[in-house]
Amino acid sequence: MTGWHVDDETLRHYVERTDSVAEGASVERHLLNCAQCRARVNTAATAVDLAVVDLAAVWDGTRDAVEVPRPSVFERLLRALGLPAHEAQLVAVASAFRGVWLVGVAAVLAFAAGAAVIGHARGLWFFLAVAPLAPCLVVAFSYDRRWDPALEPETVTPYPTLRLILLRTVAVLAVALPAVLLLGLVVPGAAPFAWLLPAVGFVALVLAASTWASPLNAAIAVSAAWLMTVWLLAARAASPSAVLQPWTQVAFLVLAAASFGTFLVRRRHVRQLRPWR
Amino acid sequence: MTASISLSGVGRTFGATRALADVDLDLEPGVIGLLGPNGAGKTTLLRLLATALPPSQGTVRVLGRDPQVPAERTEIRRRLGYLPQEVGFPRGFTAFAFVDYIALLKEWPQPDARHAEVRRVLDQVGLADVATKRIRAMSGGQRRRVVLAQALLGSPPVLILDEPTTGVDPEQRVTLRTVLAEIARTSIVVLSTHQTEDVAALCERVIVLDRGRVRYDGQVTELVRQAAGRVWLADQPDPTARVSWRTGTGRYRNVAAHARDGVEHVEPSLEDAYLLLRGDLPHGKPAEEVAS
Repeated sequence: MTGWHVDDETLRHYVERTDSVAEGASVERHLLNCAQCRARVNTAATAVDLAVVDLAAVWDGTRDAVEVPRPSVFERLLRALGLPAHEAQLVAVASAFRGVWLVGVAAVLAFAAGAAVIGHARGLWFFLAVAPLAPCLVVAFSYDRRWDPALEPETVTPYPTLRLILLRTVAVLAVALPAVLLLGLVVPGAAPFAWLLPAVGFVALVLAASTWASPLNAAIAVSAAWLMTVWLLAARAASPSAVLQPWTQVAFLVLAAASFGTFLVRRRHVRQLRPWR
Repeated sequence: MTASISLSGVGRTFGATRALADVDLDLEPGVIGLLGPNGAGKTTLLRLLATALPPSQGTVRVLGRDPQVPAERTEIRRRLGYLPQEVGFPRGFTAFAFVDYIALLKEWPQPDARHAEVRRVLDQVGLADVATKRIRAMSGGQRRRVVLAQALLGSPPVLILDEPTTGVDPEQRVTLRTVLAEIARTSIVVLSTHQTEDVAALCERVIVLDRGRVRYDGQVTELVRQAAGRVWLADQPDPTARVSWRTGTGRYRNVAAHARDGVEHVEPSLEDAYLLLRGDLPHGKPAEEVAS
């Protein structure tokens, strides 16, 4: 970004280290901002038989260390689970996977698990009410247009929108399900596993419903319906084991399969693709 | 093959509001300026060109491809840079992180090549020194340049820019003009702006939109020529002038619908010509209602 460049003689003194400290510092200062002169350093070093270092690569590496943001914990987790680095980065950008939101979800789940341990039947109902909803809410936030501030430039890129939505959904399930399952191990009885199929069913239901409504509105509707169901069951003094019945679990499996099928059939109706439907 | 965009009978409605009507345009490489008042349909037209929006009527072809066909739309998007009017940024992102994210979506999976490209475009818009600064801590002009940087990724043959110089300081605007002029040697650059001086400095061709219709499409010099003899300086505002304002010298610049003799004529600017063109148009609502 300057019209001045280091002359050959000065550059030779620099690579031979025969210049003064002040001259060396001056050249280095210039090299920081002049790619043209940096490129000449190797040539000068070769001419005086010094070991050649790929300065351009060193420079890029140094800049990477300074400029490239450190991957978030979630992104590193996705990489560890086998997702390619660039796709892990794309998934982890979503607001739903960032800082405060994830901590909030984890805190609510921990509270629900705590209530289940301490509060017997009512506590168990509370855990069963909350645990299946967390994944579907995070999925909804991960691709809801209102939570995507950079939507317009994203929309006109060649990356397939549906692939991004499904990647983020799978990422939620891959991370949230084992985490909640682990948390649920403190809950007595079979309840730690009872919420798994409802959770998968609700995620699929939100995907399917988001072809008609916004993902967040769909998740709120699903959550409200589930909370109402749990409240009615608890009010009738039913046992939490009602959710554990085989037919209930099969019903959630059918719900998941039917919802995912609906999503695949209606995938072009997702809000982000709707203008071109 | 020369890059080109063509629109034929293009219209776009939003509910009962007609944002664009009967637009026919052929665009070749160069910088094309888009002028018009608020609500004239500039952003709608740019969103159509950027494949963010389909037309309600007519056909659009970008680089010989039809954006209505999904595979061809993807091909267009591979060759497109778009700076929208308003963009938010994910919380906590730096300039580098944001442009890097868009580069991923633009199919640059290899980190080395991608990072080099991100640095190139940040340098091009003069943000290399603040690449690690959080976007939320940046000024409005710097944020605008971050969005411009992502549009420049991959040196696309089609560059759609919606008010690129808003909030950018004069020095940076000059730098950006140099960058855009260079890109326009081989690419189609369509930019909408309220800054007539940007159009005058950059564009050979200007399109004036009003209430969704093209009211002028031609050379900037020709539009300016239409104002010759209709702009003059005087000690007082002229009651016959269409617009009149006090300049920094204390004298009044008068712009009139008809040429005047016996006054101190001055060289008309594009702004004068634009104001005259606007004055010739019927005033009304910014967008037309669709007849039911």
